[in-house]
Amino acid sequence: MIGLIELRRRKLQFGLITLVVALISYLVLMINGLGVGLNVQAGSALRNFNAESIAYSDKAGLSVIRSELSETTVQAIGEANGGRPTAPIGYVAANYERANGSVRSAAFFGYEPGTIGEPNVISGRTLDGSDRRSVLADSTFLEYAGFKVGDTITVTVRLTAQEFTIVGEVDEGAFFFQPALYVLLDSWRELKYGPPASGQPEASIVLVKGRSQVGRETQGYEVVDKATAFANIEGVEGQDATVEALRFFGFIIGGLVIAVFFYVITLQKVAHIGVLKAVGASSGFVFWQLLVQVLAMTVVAAAVSVPLAWVTDRALRTIPDQVPIAFTTGTYVYTIAGMFIVSVLGTLISGRQVMKVDPIIALGQQQ
Amino acid sequence: MSTPLLDVRGLGKTYDSGAAAVQAVRDVSFTANAGDFVAIVGPSGSGKTTLLAMIGGLLAPTTGSILVGGRDIARMSSRELARYRRDSVGYVFQANNLLPYLTGRENLMVIASIRRGDRRAASARADRLLGELGVVGRAGAVATELSGGERQRIAIGRALMNDPLFVLVDEPTASLDSVRGRQVVELLMTEVKSRDKLGIMVTHDLAMAQLADRVFELHDGELVRDSRPAVLG
Repeated sequence: MIGLIELRRRKLQFGLITLVVALISYLVLMINGLGVGLNVQAGSALRNFNAESIAYSDKAGLSVIRSELSETTVQAIGEANGGRPTAPIGYVAANYERANGSVRSAAFFGYEPGTIGEPNVISGRTLDGSDRRSVLADSTFLEYAGFKVGDTITVTVRLTAQEFTIVGEVDEGAFFFQPALYVLLDSWRELKYGPPASGQPEASIVLVKGRSQVGRETQGYEVVDKATAFANIEGVEGQDATVEALRFFGFIIGGLVIAVFFYVITLQKVAHIGVLKAVGASSGFVFWQLLVQVLAMTVVAAAVSVPLAWVTDRALRTIPDQVPIAFTTGTYVYTIAGMFIVSVLGTLISGRQVMKVDPIIALGQQQ
Repeated sequence: MSTPLLDVRGLGKTYDSGAAAVQAVRDVSFTANAGDFVAIVGPSGSGKTTLLAMIGGLLAPTTGSILVGGRDIARMSSRELARYRRDSVGYVFQANNLLPYLTGRENLMVIASIRRGDRRAASARADRLLGELGVVGRAGAVATELSGGERQRIAIGRALMNDPLFVLVDEPTASLDSVRGRQVVELLMTEVKSRDKLGIMVTHDLAMAQLADRVFELHDGELVRDSRPAVLG
């Protein structure tokens, strides 16, 4: 395979191009990682709810923050779900003091034990009906705030401070760029509205199993599926559009740079291509050599960029309030697959040049 | 009378360069057979290389035909021409044109890669050719590390790798001194004749041309003389 032999013999030239491809792959990986990370921060807690759809107040514009549901509405939603479970969830943002004294905001979700709103505890214990001053904390909260199960946190909201003891750790993520904490629904109501009084909302939203009520807009509530709910988190739409644009331009600009590099290589090899054609090589044979080179360089570039992105991710995770980058297997697979596609498309442009090379150039100037 | 290996009839080539059309080759006709070694001589611009390129399937003629074993290569598609060059033609270029990043041996094996035949047989053939050409000891060196004479020998080996009908040679001694040049031409003739190929060599060096069996003289694209070296004036 002369394409591979050439790669081996012209290490510096091809090494530099591979480095450029690797850096472009790294850049696109980081952009994609940023997209995933921003989505995790924006609403992984909502995505992780054990429900397929979510009911909001019909006056809230699908905003968890602004939605308030009365007890009657919560009951109506439950009754309309044909026996399938529903669970009221309360949401409020409140400040807490970190172990180092700094003040940060957290997303407090209120739920009723035993319902589908109950998060999955990975260490410690769940809340029971008497745990009015207890909280379940997300593992990222514990890591970055410097707390552990058994510690007490001070939560301030509406000019009052309340102490909660962390009794369990969950892995539910974040909401609206705040770590998620889970309290009893009554505790949430007190945090948000003060001491119990008549007329207080029962919940912010209701988790609904199944999709049978999706699209329903009646009796003061509306139901959407979880993907719609996520897309309607404040700022997510703009954020997604921004990340998509970055990703698109990353691929386009990266692809163009790669295509130009491969095109320049092809131009540099026109004389050699002419010789190959003069001794009987078809354009397909020459193009195949070029494609093998491009694929080999892209493989090496992926082998460099993926570990580099992984190391960057690990390094950023050690920093509190880190850049919200997150990588999934899918992030790596789709990004690298995208780079391969872009590389092959770039090679196709060079392929046109290969087709155009006239073998007569092997003879130099005609007499 | 048997069909000649190469039958060129009324061959012409006109280059259109804007308003001025240049007739590089005019109405050239000849036949040649396997075992012949033909030299084409003439001054610069007389159409020697153009004629060679047309016979080698690198350039389409404007008029006439080039019958090889009865088939007119002037009527072939570019794909058929690539196949013709791959299977029937061995080229030795003026600048030898080895691929610089390959070793001498790999330059021979490129032909095997293009032909996709039996690699083991091709490998054995490459070794045999390198041995016969006296460069087996330098076959592992990258082309850029070889001397001019070594590169020319490797180029000859490459031209013979596909066991072609023709070996077409363009100014093989241009970059060599007269002694090495003569050695290369004699080597070429030996290799071509011992394998019963048709050798066609373009040269401006009359001393080298005299080594050939036949000499074609071109002037302004016309074949003005087809002679034996003994009668070359």
